[in-house]
Amino acid sequence: MIRTVVATLLMIGAIVGPLHAQTAPVVGLRENTPAVHAFVNARIVVAPGKTIAKGTLVVRSGVIEAVGENVVPPADARVWNMEGLTLYPGFIELSSDLGMPKPQQVAQGGASGATMAQQRQQEAPKGAAHWNSRVQPNVDASLEFKADSRAAEKLRSQGFALALATPQLGIFRGSSALVSLGDGSGSELVVKRHATQTIALEQMQGFGGGYPSSLMGVIALVRQTWYDADWYRKAHESYARKPQGQKRPETNAALEALQPAIQQKQPVVIEVGDDLTFLRAAKIGREFSLNAWIRGSGQEYRRLDAVKAAKLPVIVPVNFPEPPAVDVPEEALNATLEELRHWDTAPENASRLARAGVAIALTTAELRDPATFLASVRKAVERGLSSDAALAALTTNPAHWLGVESRFGTLEKGKVANIMVADGNAFDEKTNIREVWIDGRQYEVKIPPSVDARGTWNVQIRARWSAEKPVSSEEGELIVRGEMEKPSGTLKLKGKDLRLAAVTYANQKLAFMVAGDSINVKGNLRLSATVGKNELTGVGELPDGRSVSWTGARKEPARVEPDTSKPREIKMASFGDLFPAGEFGRAKPPQQPEIMLVKNAAVWTQGPQGKIENADLLVTKGKITAVGKNLTPPKGATVIDATGKHVTPGLIDCHSHTATASVNEGGQTISAETRIEDVLDSDDIWIYRQLAGGTTAANVLHGSANPIGGQNAVVKWRWGALPDEMLIAGAPPGIKFALGENVKQSNFSPGGQQSTRYPQTRMGVEQIIRDRFQAALDYERAWKEWEKDKTLIPPPRDLELDAVLEAVKGKRLVHAHSYRQDEILMLLRVAEEFGFRIATLQHVLEGYKVAEAIKKHGAGASSFSDWWAYKIEAWDAIPGSGSLMHAQGVNVSYNSDNSQLATRMNWEASKALKFGVPEQEALNFVTLNSAIQLGVQDRIGSLEVGKDADFVIWSGDPLSVYSVCEQTWVDGRKYFDLQEDRKMREQIQNERSTLIQKIIASKQTEGAAPGAGPRMMMRRPNEEQLQSCMEGVDHEY
Amino acid sequence: MNTKNLGEKNAMRVDRMLTLILCMVMLTNNASQASEPIPAPKQKHPIALIGATVHTVSGAVIQNGTILFDKGKIVAVGTAVTIPQNTERIDTRGKHIYPGLIDASSSLGLTEIGSVRGTLDLSETGRINPNVRAEVAIHPESELIPVARSGGITVAAVSPAGGLISGTAAAIMMDGWTYEEMTLKAPLALVVNWPSMVYSPGRFMRMSREDWQKQRDEQLKQLRDAFAESRAYLKAKDAEKEKGIHYHDLDMRWEAMRPVFSKKIPVVVNANEISQIQAAVAWGEEEQIRIIIGGGRDAWRVADLLKAKDIPVIVNPIHTAPMRRWEGFDEAYTTPAKLKEAGVRFCISGDYSASNSRNTPHHAATAAAYGLAHDEALKAITLYPAQILGLEAMLGSIEVGKDATLMITDGDPLELSTTVEQIFIQGKKIDMQDKHKQLYEKYKQLEDR
Repeated sequence: MIRTVVATLLMIGAIVGPLHAQTAPVVGLRENTPAVHAFVNARIVVAPGKTIAKGTLVVRSGVIEAVGENVVPPADARVWNMEGLTLYPGFIELSSDLGMPKPQQVAQGGASGATMAQQRQQEAPKGAAHWNSRVQPNVDASLEFKADSRAAEKLRSQGFALALATPQLGIFRGSSALVSLGDGSGSELVVKRHATQTIALEQMQGFGGGYPSSLMGVIALVRQTWYDADWYRKAHESYARKPQGQKRPETNAALEALQPAIQQKQPVVIEVGDDLTFLRAAKIGREFSLNAWIRGSGQEYRRLDAVKAAKLPVIVPVNFPEPPAVDVPEEALNATLEELRHWDTAPENASRLARAGVAIALTTAELRDPATFLASVRKAVERGLSSDAALAALTTNPAHWLGVESRFGTLEKGKVANIMVADGNAFDEKTNIREVWIDGRQYEVKIPPSVDARGTWNVQIRARWSAEKPVSSEEGELIVRGEMEKPSGTLKLKGKDLRLAAVTYANQKLAFMVAGDSINVKGNLRLSATVGKNELTGVGELPDGRSVSWTGARKEPARVEPDTSKPREIKMASFGDLFPAGEFGRAKPPQQPEIMLVKNAAVWTQGPQGKIENADLLVTKGKITAVGKNLTPPKGATVIDATGKHVTPGLIDCHSHTATASVNEGGQTISAETRIEDVLDSDDIWIYRQLAGGTTAANVLHGSANPIGGQNAVVKWRWGALPDEMLIAGAPPGIKFALGENVKQSNFSPGGQQSTRYPQTRMGVEQIIRDRFQAALDYERAWKEWEKDKTLIPPPRDLELDAVLEAVKGKRLVHAHSYRQDEILMLLRVAEEFGFRIATLQHVLEGYKVAEAIKKHGAGASSFSDWWAYKIEAWDAIPGSGSLMHAQGVNVSYNSDNSQLATRMNWEASKALKFGVPEQEALNFVTLNSAIQLGVQDRIGSLEVGKDADFVIWSGDPLSVYSVCEQTWVDGRKYFDLQEDRKMREQIQNERSTLIQKIIASKQTEGAAPGAGPRMMMRRPNEEQLQSCMEGVDHEY
Repeated sequence: MNTKNLGEKNAMRVDRMLTLILCMVMLTNNASQASEPIPAPKQKHPIALIGATVHTVSGAVIQNGTILFDKGKIVAVGTAVTIPQNTERIDTRGKHIYPGLIDASSSLGLTEIGSVRGTLDLSETGRINPNVRAEVAIHPESELIPVARSGGITVAAVSPAGGLISGTAAAIMMDGWTYEEMTLKAPLALVVNWPSMVYSPGRFMRMSREDWQKQRDEQLKQLRDAFAESRAYLKAKDAEKEKGIHYHDLDMRWEAMRPVFSKKIPVVVNANEISQIQAAVAWGEEEQIRIIIGGGRDAWRVADLLKAKDIPVIVNPIHTAPMRRWEGFDEAYTTPAKLKEAGVRFCISGDYSASNSRNTPHHAATAAAYGLAHDEALKAITLYPAQILGLEAMLGSIEVGKDATLMITDGDPLELSTTVEQIFIQGKKIDMQDKHKQLYEKYKQLEDR
């Protein structure tokens, strides 16, 4: 019979006896305690949605041999009575740092950003490594893993039996290992090697340090590395075919380690810090057809539709934020609605994902203390995550994703005996996890005392109650109540009720003291006793040191006190979703009227029609269909009476850094591979504020840290849309260049590590730009050579040179930050030599000195209206520069380079009036001319038939300081309205105060929240950066 | 070709683009003066500005008015002014005359080029510097001063920066050969920067709440100690007169605090956030000193307090971000209007930067666009700063007896298209040339090359 069982099990390949499972020699005596266990009378949750109310589960040699209602425990089994207990499949953690080398903590904060600086390993890489020390896909967690029994115990306490140990350092972090959370050596614990590859998309900090120093640099490096991995295979294949005559391709352990992942044989987990970075990660996954999973941030609900559309498995943290400080009214002012809403909604994140059909797993990652995990999951369940979904997210989903579902994830016959034992429903607040069995071995979590001391006891206490009297016995009554392990109670003695103080109960030893004053014993009487089922015996001491002996007999057993506490009222998120999820967000995009007519305004067309008084503007489906006097509104048209108002095209800011998660990639001299579109931050509140000032579109540029910088993004401020939806379709691609002080780092502190980067002079700037142009042409030539014989090693795809080549070929607009006339001329001449045109000179503060050359070259000039004197190269900046260049026929625009300034671009334009620029031409400086400079004049910049209905209604002459923006329309949708803005403020006020009251109430009822998550929901470096740069020397990028 | 010739050539040409420059040049003492502006000589004879629209600011607007001034002071204002014999008559028909603008919080003269350390004299090292005096570091040759003048700035409250007690500010006239000639009043006020009272961790602030609190408390103690110690010092010094009390060595820092304690000068406490303002007000009461709130972004939230204590606010800058994400886009724009409505005394200044001092009226104009009455916006950069800074006997309005510190414009000075054609400072007719105009004129030549 037994033989049959064994044979059967062998057939399904699920049994290997302990003796056969390892190669290590036995030290000392063999241990052969039979590993056969039968759990009887248990409630068994076999799998999500599949429960046996009362049954038996048999484990043999670490494997589930049988499970069912009518299973008879085998004769050789040790029987465990599991009456009242529930067995669950052991949980699987998919994002753990267990046993991994950890980044050193420099600053506190917990957010991943805090740990970055020290991750830049300064030493030269060892071995055949990647050139960038933060690209370490070759790190192998199964080799790095160091058993950490304390950390494992903590995870077991939350129900976990397995964890995916994931390397923690760098961007490409290496492959993870699935490890068992039991005790043993590394080779015993590691269940699966190379389970996943790991990437972390981290926001890097500031200038200096290594490359990449920005999120966009990180993304560029990740993309480049995948291209490199692809090339690496092809190169080696080619070389293997034909080594003769070919240069030997490099040996690179990192690129080699990426081969399984790029061929979809290994999943790639991408760790992200916020909801928008989730979408960035998903985009990378798509670009390289990766089997990508996202380790999320807990903010996925904010962009649920987009997350759902990504169709990727998501490992979800339960890092619910602590509430913002709101007790003191002044302090509460600083709580943003975004934070408050996040506090209110975060616990519903997992539930909303699950309901949307997103495949999720739950993780302890991002929790300050993993021991708070289950409490948070229970909160998530309370807030709508079904118990089955929660269980699946902890068992079957991870097992499936990892491809280990034949062994793990359920309590079915043949599976590994990873079992969690709880005294109730795992997701119920009051349930305790008792023990976790891993590979059929028991690990206690919290076993309650075998004897319950609670109840009523008749006691006899023998003592010399006073110096005068002999030993005598007092009868009394001891009542022990409260929690089993934290009891309280009273001792009735000499007719008095004495309250027990300092009560402890552990290992069957009950100890307490009582104040003796009421029974004429001055001081505290201390008693302790060993508690048996029905009797107790112990000793004690009177205050004066005389000893006491006492016994007790149980009078009444512990009474189970009925739970009288009211079930806690579950409060779901108070408010519906907004996009972005905070102040001034919208529930949905503004509607686009089919047909609309703006009537009777002074219309500044900025086109051939000029400025028309008492004119109308007809818009159909977001496009301008007529401009002129006395237009008849078509049937059903929405009519806006703009009598006395002025209407202009939406203002266009030709130099912006608004809505970016990072601005500069200063880690390399040339950063052409980086793309602003990768880091657009559609949640930036400045988008809304700029709409409120009539700005509808912007040229969002990389900073000026590099002679050839990153690729720009031309966007419309479609507030509430996703980053990619803000891009203006069909806008020519562009790239930032920079010259002068910033790129030669002249304002960095002298002697610092930054003062040696090439170039340090304007001479060097010219040379490096020239060199890169030529490098791009050489790169092009190399590709053409390869085209002739594709069996040869191809040139490596180079994202940096791709972009530079496009610029040199005139297919990518160059926007060049420039100040002095010499550098302006230099760049024009170098470009002319290479046969292309610089699209715009940005800042171009001395442009007025070489206006003729700029005109001849055909570059646009995009300038500040009047900034000057903040550095040497701005010393000759004059406010008349724009007008002088304009007079020479140069296309001139005024830009902001500053989020606040971008809210009042009409006034910037009006500064040109002082220098004789006629009013319509002045307004062109922030409308049509900007559009021309960006190559989008066929769509925006003027109010002409066929163009986009991006326009502003002003209270008066837009060039007067007394006029304000009343309405801002983009694509025929009203994105800003002064009246509506007032209403939104009331709504914000209402929401804030509601949520503040909710926080206060929750603190009163729940006490301190589990407080697992970070205080701040996210970092907004750019908002801070831009504010601070307004005041400092380096106000421009 | 020297620049002087260039200037002459300019003055001869009639050109659409140059109209405004010509206006300026014609009004200037020496029409051929296109080089370095020369400080003006003292007013030697009476001057009458005749025919302009006179915006007295303190009183009614006078159409076709005349202003007569002599020895630097306004002698008469009105439509029927008797003009003495030796008076220089200047035809200002079609023009507007206003009191000269005051930049109530400025770094003019203490800084030249932001990135060049050698040109920066803004911020002394250490936290307690009551003794440093702005006026002694004013660089009369600063190229930024004539540019500010061209924007109508006639007097700037030049203030040191940094630390907890930055030093004393001085009222600096925008013309003169030396800092002494330029100084209108010094000390004008002591400048204190209130420590941050709100814990806001972020990119640039990584401290724990506890560490931050410790640092804040330490700074508050340092500030209180400075005042307590200077009181003790001054008490001891004053006691020297008495018999048996011996001499105490000089302490420059505490000596400088005398006018603060005697209330001869106010203390400008830079405080934006509500808790800072509340703390500053309480501290001012406790120390029994006169305070002015500088910055004051949250001042309207405690308007009742400020009104009750009659504490004025220098609101600056107007062009700045809302402090909090949930606040309206126009939060900073509307602060002056809210203070006005609540009856709190206020004035408006720019962003403290020297190069942008000329944009002070732009800040006031934005407040006007967002709810402040136009005449109030004008007062906020003329009469109100004069009153708040204790200069109202000399400045702020066109009234008999005040300094003849005026500006002539071609329109509303709050409009960005308006040109300030001429200013007078204490009756001195100021050379309106500046670096920007020089470069403009110079490179204008290229058009015809």
